Parts: sequence; structure tokens; C-alpha cells
Amino acid sequence: MPNQRAVISTPLTPTSRLGRFRQWEASGVVFALVVLCVLLSVATPNFFSLTNVPIVLRNASFVGLVALGQTLVLLVGGIDLSVGAIAGLSAIIGALMLTVLGIHPYAVIPLTCLFGLGLGFANAVFVAKLRLNPFIVTLASGEIFAGANLVITQGYPIRPLGSNFRFFGQGEVFGIPAPVIVFFGAGIILWWMLTKTRFGRNIYAVGGNRDAALLVGIRVWRVEFAVYGLAGAFAALSGILYASRMDAAQPSVGEGWMLSAITAAIIGGTSLRGGEGTILGTIFGALLLTVLQNGTVLLNVSGYWQRLIVGSVVLVAILVDLLRRK
Amino acid sequence: MVAVFEARHVSKNFGPVQALNDVSISIRTSEVHAIIGENGAGKSTLMNIFCGKLKPSFGELFRNGQPVEFHTPTDSQNAGITIAPQEVNLVPRLTVAENILLGAHLCVSGVIDWSATRQKAVKCLHEIDDTIDPDIKVDRLNKAQQQLVQIARAVATSARILIFDEPTAALTNRETEKLYSFVRRFRDEGGSVFYISHRLDEILSLSDRITVLQDGKSIGQLEPKATTKEEMINMMAGRKVQGTHKPRPYVERREIVLRAQGLTRAGEFSDISFELHKGEILGIAGLIGAGRTELGRCLFGVTQADTGKIDMFGETVSIRHPSDAIAKGFVYLPEERKAEGIFPLLSITENMALPSYSRLRSLFGLRFGEIATEVADYANKLRIKLGSVNDPITSLSGGNQQKVILARWLMLGVKVLILDEPTRGIDVNAKFEIQSMLKGLCEKGLSIIYISSELLEVLEVSDRILVMHEGRIKGVQRADQATQESLLQQAMS
Repeated sequence: MPNQRAVISTPLTPTSRLGRFRQWEASGVVFALVVLCVLLSVATPNFFSLTNVPIVLRNASFVGLVALGQTLVLLVGGIDLSVGAIAGLSAIIGALMLTVLGIHPYAVIPLTCLFGLGLGFANAVFVAKLRLNPFIVTLASGEIFAGANLVITQGYPIRPLGSNFRFFGQGEVFGIPAPVIVFFGAGIILWWMLTKTRFGRNIYAVGGNRDAALLVGIRVWRVEFAVYGLAGAFAALSGILYASRMDAAQPSVGEGWMLSAITAAIIGGTSLRGGEGTILGTIFGALLLTVLQNGTVLLNVSGYWQRLIVGSVVLVAILVDLLRRK
Repeated sequence: MVAVFEARHVSKNFGPVQALNDVSISIRTSEVHAIIGENGAGKSTLMNIFCGKLKPSFGELFRNGQPVEFHTPTDSQNAGITIAPQEVNLVPRLTVAENILLGAHLCVSGVIDWSATRQKAVKCLHEIDDTIDPDIKVDRLNKAQQQLVQIARAVATSARILIFDEPTAALTNRETEKLYSFVRRFRDEGGSVFYISHRLDEILSLSDRITVLQDGKSIGQLEPKATTKEEMINMMAGRKVQGTHKPRPYVERREIVLRAQGLTRAGEFSDISFELHKGEILGIAGLIGAGRTELGRCLFGVTQADTGKIDMFGETVSIRHPSDAIAKGFVYLPEERKAEGIFPLLSITENMALPSYSRLRSLFGLRFGEIATEVADYANKLRIKLGSVNDPITSLSGGNQQKVILARWLMLGVKVLILDEPTRGIDVNAKFEIQSMLKGLCEKGLSIIYISSELLEVLEVSDRILVMHEGRIKGVQRADQATQESLLQQAMS
């Protein structure tokens, strides 16, 4: 074959930094976050204070961890509505391990994650193996997990969890709250996994075109198992950290987290159709949600307004995304 | 004679890209006007302007001599122009009849008159085909039947100007004949047809006038009675292309790569036995519904055979999943490139290298440097026309996408390729290029199973040809001894 150069036309990928930023799925949320932070630091002197910033970051970590797992599920084209309930049930189970079984606090965290992994696998059996609709499966399993939570606790919190255990939720390393370190650490690992490993790229392949993924030899069900399992594990991690922070496993842990996690992922540029989205976007999405909440508190806006504002932000994020695609 | 519809000096720009450049074209009553050109020549853009989906950047449209402007597809339909698009867009869970009259139900003061609606739908359907059950849900039909329903829907709009965009791409010979007779009947009753097709034979036999587009320009008209396929191809390509049936010299090959024995899968195919030799291209011919695609998918492990066995290089293999087949060194390239072949959201690099990732990784993740080198290497070898390997694969034309998919497997070092309609929807030049590339690969020891509905294509490419009919093998012919007629005879018996 003649030795002809293949590259002839101009590349479509913009080479300028601005162009690449605009094409990035998360450009909208980063922009919104920066604008919001600037506005808040002008409006209230407390926003960028050394007391407030760690609070914001810590609050972002709990929903953020759940959102990281949710992002993986959304990337394969699925959805997990049970993550909030997994977080709640896992927190209870973790607390029982600690108080009833007397397991060492350092072992409780990984064991709770394993429990969450198991719940995620249970979802995956129905979704990946039986090919049932993930929306319906996780809606039902979420109810089951939440119900189990209430049956076990009878509605009463498990407390106290002991001073040895509080570190994970309340402690700090060099002034950085422990959950924040876990959150960013998990983010870095997942970012690496999604961009640099075969497994990560297979997730995008399955979400982008499930049929084609099968035909290039990807064992699609394995990818789905892993992803739902990880979503469960991250939810459990978040739940047990939250319990540690409160020094109590409340039966209500995780309520409302599922929607916040999906919201964070979506405003971070993750597509509900699968195959599109980034970890960095989700991290920024979780931060944006928390900053919004924090901002309304600092500005003395009534709590009743919060949901209205969050809903509007989500709509704006989607509109920005629409403009980006044009 | 006055033109019933005319476009004068129409241009269309998409950003810096000029898709159409000063095209003037007209159609009369009782005329089939064929439009040919390579992929990307501007045929679809022009038709989309005619049916109101796009607005021209410059130029005017005239209906019966009066200037018209189409802002929406509805405007165009009101002017009596309807398109039967290439891609089927039906509602799968509704019945055939309802799909045909979707959005145009017959109503009595706002309430749908179902019996009248159904009656009209059936009438339109019977214009095209009288074997499809109008009350069956569309997702129960095969692709060819869905295509016919799509055409019936266009007929139902009572348009006087019909646009057919590659109508026969998914049809078998029998259905194609039905379509031809409809087009002729419609023309004889005074209708006008714009007809786009890659099948030059049908254009020669069906059309009254041929316009050739090249790079967005209309470069001339041809008289079907006075032209030849070579002339059409030359004009489309703007250069000399060889395109007549020239079979490969037959070579006796002995080394068996793949042997299928008594493969049966209920409802799809039965008792399939054949051998594939090293360095051979084994064509599989047959009408749509003969079970060729099903056989390919079964060999690849997408589905499981009920009985029978597969030997590779002399040893019996168990293939439960495509990854098993890939591990053994043979792969299947699906017929539906868009739906099953490419990852539309991923880059060219990833589309090519994804299956090879297990080879190209280390403890710290994928080795992107090596991946980039290999991808660039294959892009060169296969002469893939691309801007940057990081562009999305959807930025490429169909032919180049197919080359990326080929490169995907060459990179992995497979030994057997099962190709299912590898050149469908690909322009003539890219088609020849891919075919000669495949022949070259076989010289180097690759073996290929080549499934195609175009008999001529199978004849040109293959060494031997397996003819299938209704799930069974009817015979094997040597390509240098076979003709279209001999294949067709076996396929229809």
C-alpha cells in the first residue's frame, strides 16, 4: 500500500484552552460555582472564612460520595434509586457491628463498605442478569432496604458510637476534615479508574453503546455488576461516615441523598442516557449543591426557598448544557 | 414541459463547510429523477431542503413555477412533497396501520374513526406490499418489512412528489421488485419521484433522468438509456474506477481454519456445515431472511446453537460469549454499523483500540503513548481520512468508520473476520478500497467470511460462495465459475 499520510483535514477537537473548556461536559457547573462563590464572598464576609469552608466541604463529602457511585451507574446507562436507602441501612449495620459485635472501629468502615457492595450486587442480579429495568428494580429494592432499616431499629437511633469511632466523621488531618479527605481520595481513584484503566473505558463503552460493547467482547454484565456494587459501597461509606460524624446511626440517614446524588451528577454533566460524564464534574456538582445550601443559610434566606433555588439551578445547568452542545 | 418542482442556484453552508454549491435541479410530472453521487456529495442535504428540514443558504425553490419557501416539513408536505427516509423511524409498539397514518388519523369531530383510518392505511400498504399484516405491531416485522411500511407511510400523505432515499438498501430482491412496480405505477399516474440510490443497476432500469452530484455541485445529467455503469461511476468519482465483475483467480487451499458441523438454531438456521480455509474469502449469499446474519452472530457467540459444533484450527471450541470467540482469534463485524459497531460518544482512538486495551496496559493504567502510536499506524495503513484521532468517530464518513472497525480487529491480531454487509451505505470508492484491502489481508493469511446481499459484490470479492436459503445451505460455488444468475437460482430454489 502506498505510504500516504492519513491526516488530511483539520481536527475537530478545539486546540485552544477556552475551546476545550467550553466543550467539557462540566464547564457549566464550574462556571456557575465560580460565579456563586464570588457573589457569596462579596455578599457575606463569612463565606470564605476558615470556619465556613471546612463546613461546606464536609457537607459536600457525604452527598458527594454517594454521587460518585451514582455517576458510575449513570455512565453505564443505568440508575440507582436505592443509594440513599443503602446508605441508611449500612450505617445501621455498621453501628450494630460496632456496638453489638464490638468490632474494632477501623474494621467497621471496610466491613460496612462490603455490606453496601453486597446490596449493590443484589441490585445487579436483577438489572444485569435478569435484564430488568434499573429504575423499577432499585425503586423496589430501595423500599426494601429502607424498610429493613426501620424493622431493625424500630425507628430509634443507635448511639453513642464511642469516642474511638468519631474520628472518621469529626476528625481533621492538617485542618482538613476526614470525610473531605475520603471524598477527594475516592474522587482521585475513580478519576484514574475511569480515564486510565481498561475497566473504566469499558464503562463508557457499555454506556455509549451496549450492543457494540457486547460485540467487541466486553462481558457487559460484569461491568454492570461492578458498577452497581461500587455504587452500593460508596453509599455505605458515606452512610457510616455520616453516622460517625453524628456519633449516632439515625434511621433517617440517607433520606433525600438519592435525589441530591443524581442532581450533583447531572449538573456535573453526566448524561442520563449513559456514556457521558466525568468524576470531576460530579465533584463540582456536589460542591455547587452544598454551596447553594450554605449560601442560603448565610444570607438568612428562609429554608423554604432552598428547594426552589436548587430546582432552578438544575434547570439552568441543563439549559447551559443544551447551549454547549449547539 | 413545465417543471412541477424546481430548485434554482441552491447553496447550503454548515459553518465553513459548503455542502451544496449552486445546484439547480428540476422535476416534471411522470418522471423518475435519480440523483447519484458519493457519500457526502450533498444528496441528503438537497433532499432535506426539498422536504423542509433544512433551509437553503442561497437560492430559491419553485412549485409549479411559483416561488415557495419551506420553513418546516409541514410546509413541504402541504406542497405535496414527502420523503421516505433511509433510516426507519416507526413507533415499534404501535401497529402497522397506525404507523402508516401516524399524525394523520381520520377524525370525526376530533375523535378518531378507527375503521376508516385502518381502511385507508391498508389501502396505502397494499400499494406497496400485500403480505404484511396491518394489525401486527411494527417491532414484530423484519427490517425489510419495516422499510416497506415506512414507504407506505410516505404514500399515505398523497404527495405528488415522492423522495426515496436509499429505499432498497434493506430490501431483498422480491421486495425490491414490489417497490419498483410501485414507483413505475406512481410515475405513470403522473407522479414525480426523486430517487437516491447506490445501486446503479436499479437507477439504470428505473429512472428517466440522472443527475450526478459531486462535492456539493451538480456536475451533469445523464440519459439512462445512453449511459453505462462505468460512466456513472466515473462521473461520481471524477476519476477512473474499475468496477466490473472480475473474479479472483481460484486457488486451491487446504489448511482449514474454521469448520462448522451441523449447526442448528431453531427458527434461524439448520444443519449448517462448511469449511473456511486459510487465506480464503468465503462469501455467503442469499436473500434477506436466509439466516446469514443469524449464522454469523451464532458463530461469534452472541447466540448459542442448539446443536452442532465448531472446530478452530482442528480443535473443537466452546463459544458462549463474543469474548470467547475473540480469544480464539475470530470476530464478527455487525451489519448495523451505527447501532452495533461504533461507540458514537467515543473518539476514533478509543473506537479502534478498545478491545486491545488488555494488551496495552500496565499496573498504572493504560499506556496511552503506545496506543496513540498504534492507532496512527493503522490509520495510515488503512488510509483512514481523519482530522485528529481524538475526534469523535461520528465525524467520519461511513467508509472511514468501517475502516476504523476493521483496524480495531487487525490491531488485536485476529485470524478470522466475519463481515456482515461490510460495505452497506458506503460510497463506491471507499467500497473498492475496503474490498481490495481485504483481499490484501487474505494474502497475508487472514481468512474472511463475507456476508452480502449484493450478488455482484460477493462474486467480486469471494473465492468460494456459500448460498443460503431459509436457514439452510443450498450449495457452494466457486466464484470464478459462478454468475449472478447461478447464485440467484440456487438462492431462490
